[in-house]
Amino acid sequence: MLPLRYALGNLLARRARTALTVSVIALVVVASTLFSGLVSSLKRTFVTSGNPRNLIVMRKGATNDGSSAVPLEAFQALRFFEGVARGPNGQPLASPELVVQPFFHTPGGGRENVLVRGVEPVALAVHDEVKITQGRMLAPSSGEVILGRGVEGRYVGAQLGQTIRFGHGTWKVVGIFEADRSSLESEVWADVRELGDDAKRSVPYSGVRMRVADGADLDALAHRIGDDSRWALEASRETDYYAKQAESANVFYVIAIGLAVLSGIGAAFGATNTLYAAVQSRRAEIGTLRALGFSRLAILVSFLVESLTIALAGFAVGSLVAALLGRLVSWWLGGIAFGSQTFTTNVVQLRVGAVDLAYGLCLSLAIGLLGGLAPASRAARMRPVEALRKA
Amino acid sequence: MIELQDVSRVYHRGADEIHALEHVSLQIGRGRFAALMGPSGSGKSTLLNILAGLDRPTSGSVRVAGVSLNELSEDELAAFRARHVGFVFQFFNLIPVLDACQNVELPLLLTHLRKAERRERAQTALRVVGLAERGAHRPGELSGGEQQRVAIARAIVTDPEIVVADEPTGDLDARNAVEILGLLRDLCREFQKTVVMVTHDPRGEKFVDEIHQLDKGVLRHSAAQREAAAR
Amino acid sequence: MKFLPLVWRNLARNPLRTALTAGAIGLAIALVCLLLTMPNGLDVLLERAASNTRIVVHNEAGLVYPLPYAYLQKIRSLPGVVGAASWSWYGGVFEIEKGVTFPNFAVEPEPIGTVWADWGIDAKQLEDFRRYRDGAIVGGATLKRQGWKVGDRITLKGTLYPVDLQFRIVAEIPNDRAPFLLFQREYLDQALRAAGRGGLDTLGIVYVRVDDPARVAPVMAQIDTMFKNSEAQTASETEKSYFSSFFSMLSGFVTIILIVTGLVALCIVFIAANTASMSVRERLGEIAVLKALGFKRRLIFTTLVAEAVILSGLGGALGALASLGLTQLLHARASSWNSSLGPLGSFIVTETILVQGLFLALFVGMISGVVPALGAARRSVAETLREVF
Repeated sequence: MLPLRYALGNLLARRARTALTVSVIALVVVASTLFSGLVSSLKRTFVTSGNPRNLIVMRKGATNDGSSAVPLEAFQALRFFEGVARGPNGQPLASPELVVQPFFHTPGGGRENVLVRGVEPVALAVHDEVKITQGRMLAPSSGEVILGRGVEGRYVGAQLGQTIRFGHGTWKVVGIFEADRSSLESEVWADVRELGDDAKRSVPYSGVRMRVADGADLDALAHRIGDDSRWALEASRETDYYAKQAESANVFYVIAIGLAVLSGIGAAFGATNTLYAAVQSRRAEIGTLRALGFSRLAILVSFLVESLTIALAGFAVGSLVAALLGRLVSWWLGGIAFGSQTFTTNVVQLRVGAVDLAYGLCLSLAIGLLGGLAPASRAARMRPVEALRKA
Repeated sequence: MIELQDVSRVYHRGADEIHALEHVSLQIGRGRFAALMGPSGSGKSTLLNILAGLDRPTSGSVRVAGVSLNELSEDELAAFRARHVGFVFQFFNLIPVLDACQNVELPLLLTHLRKAERRERAQTALRVVGLAERGAHRPGELSGGEQQRVAIARAIVTDPEIVVADEPTGDLDARNAVEILGLLRDLCREFQKTVVMVTHDPRGEKFVDEIHQLDKGVLRHSAAQREAAAR
Repeated sequence: MKFLPLVWRNLARNPLRTALTAGAIGLAIALVCLLLTMPNGLDVLLERAASNTRIVVHNEAGLVYPLPYAYLQKIRSLPGVVGAASWSWYGGVFEIEKGVTFPNFAVEPEPIGTVWADWGIDAKQLEDFRRYRDGAIVGGATLKRQGWKVGDRITLKGTLYPVDLQFRIVAEIPNDRAPFLLFQREYLDQALRAAGRGGLDTLGIVYVRVDDPARVAPVMAQIDTMFKNSEAQTASETEKSYFSSFFSMLSGFVTIILIVTGLVALCIVFIAANTASMSVRERLGEIAVLKALGFKRRLIFTTLVAEAVILSGLGGALGALASLGLTQLLHARASSWNSSLGPLGSFIVTETILVQGLFLALFVGMISGVVPALGAARRSVAETLREVF
């Protein structure tokens, strides 16, 4: 096999050309990694651990709890259905919730829809991924709210201890909560009754979340709720519900993959060009090596090594720039806002993580391999006599 | 036709200063076939470049076809060459992606002639060098000798007064070399062109009218050959 | 120009390299065009859909907060108001598993023609909408996506309201980006009463048509003042402002898209520059000969840059056209209107985008060719000949 020094030395000899090719790959890596980071960050907000023992109950046909209505009588009956778990004090773990999307105002004067969830204290027991990290849970009928981490600081008055305006009134922020970086962190929680009054809702709830008791048959309970002819309701697993929400992000995957494929192939073409030129200009050299007795495989491998080295260099530069750029963008934009199915703002923190970098690495290796294959095999197939003949 | 007075050329390669020509004075009359000869590095190519308007002397005056080249700008020199000088090189003469006829036409692109006229002139030039039927062939399909003939055709297609040739036979075998030299001599005899050739080739001595020997940038010796070259 | 054959032949010199470069540039431009469709979707929405004489009036607290129905009449009586209609969200679903895939609203049928004269809905169809209680106006985008046409009957199941409604499609909004379905308010009101749920006594938002753009600001101020101390305060804004604020939340995403687009464009510059420098480098001897023949430096420079521009232009043209094909593929995949992208997800390659893509390619070709061309043009002939021979 040819020494590594041969491959690397050749790359350094043609500095400008190598640099250009490396830059191309680096740019592709930056673009793909950045976008992949965005998609990963978005995906993270959709997929929460969710609780596999939780059911979400909404009106039949509603696909998210922002466009559903559940009457009071329905809730009052549901919470006593057999199979609903009970808390330590015997209270049914059924959380009635009302979803409203009022305007919140950003300090810059912008206006965004934010998901405000009216809850009762039992909500904390049912949504067990929600943890209050600062302050305390809101007390009913006290005009208090708690903010998810993504909301904090984003709007006027959205700080612990301050008052925030939305709907028809002002509310006191008494706590901040985290929820595993899920979409719940972009929510504001208020007292369900107060919220309903403020929004003048005739139907008090938009949905109910309940915990199924250990040992109880979850599916049977779900069916019983769905089959009840008094109200047209439907119950599904919380985990399934979130999975379905995540499907709305599918288009991003398509974009991300399309981005990677198109730009990757383009970069591969660029690498191929460079390598072909290198093979051409080094014909005599290759002929000499072959004449000396180096096998075709050795030549092939050597050129592939060159190609892969360029690709890896591109990855190194690109991933560094991507990580920096990601941080810069995140700091400057303060979290990317997305519209969710409930037409509210889902704030995503752009983060280029290990998975995204791995994605970038695979992409650059693929570019190096694909781009280098044709020229490397041409070099390997060269016959010594032809190569040594004057061009 | 060509008058050089006290021409010197110094150029810099890195930190070194190279005196390619030292105080060369030279005259070549109209319709003469002159050879510049000498060992490698003697400055003959430099001298050729200067009298062809490709390079400027560091000092001294150059007068070609009645034009003083010293005062001309780059663009003016280019225009001068296009009008008055034909070139034949040892390598890279022809553009590989154009066929023979298109190669010959190249200098005509710089004139205002229409396409049909350009075509016709190029064909005429090819006829002169005996390659009329090979016009559609690419340089890759021509032999070394044929390529040089095409180059000569190109050199005369604008009807310049001077043709300069830098080692025209350097890459050719014996038979082709003799053909090319003969062709160059015919240009003088039949078309009254002044041909200046740089060559190593001793065969060239039989064809030329005068030889100028250079060594280390200095013109050592000029001699006129006999009028009729012995064959 | 007469030098074009020379430029052209030079590109054909190394067909593989030319093809690879054009291919790479083509792919990159296709990508750029695709990326540009996203912010473009937003711009087009703002331009085409937003009129400068229409105002949107909604509850100041949020879009989901209702306004009393009585407000409509009061707004209509203001001077300068040509017509006003309310839109109330029904939120019906066509296919239960897919959820709400297009926005549907209950409206008053009579003012539609006046308030939305610029939508170009056929007059006869509007007549039918007024006449038939169960009539529905459907936007071009939804008609296309669902495969419906005027005359079809469809059923929407209620999510917010516990009643399902059947409709007859009687009119079309001739705009292939409009997704709305509009039906008669009375229809919903009656259905609710029949189901024992009371009637519809609130409205969602009011669209107001003003006679003169200059009157827009004063009318807005009047409306808000009129309801300032009532139970529900209003916030009036121009239609344009309404739409843009609706999607201002996507601005962060759009920024990322534009950054990525810029990166890809930079890529193209490097790819093209690499090729240009390689091909020029191989031809230095030839270029010297051309200069010897009398080709001026500027001419050499121009032909070399022209080469790069033509190559990029070719690649760009192919790429721009390819993007058209690619969007067809995307349309097959991206189904729902309210996927997280909203109008960004329309993926429609307009002529403007095609032209932008092509111009980017040409521009990039020019930049990338300049440095190698300049270097080649500037080289002293004698020096080149010295080095090469």
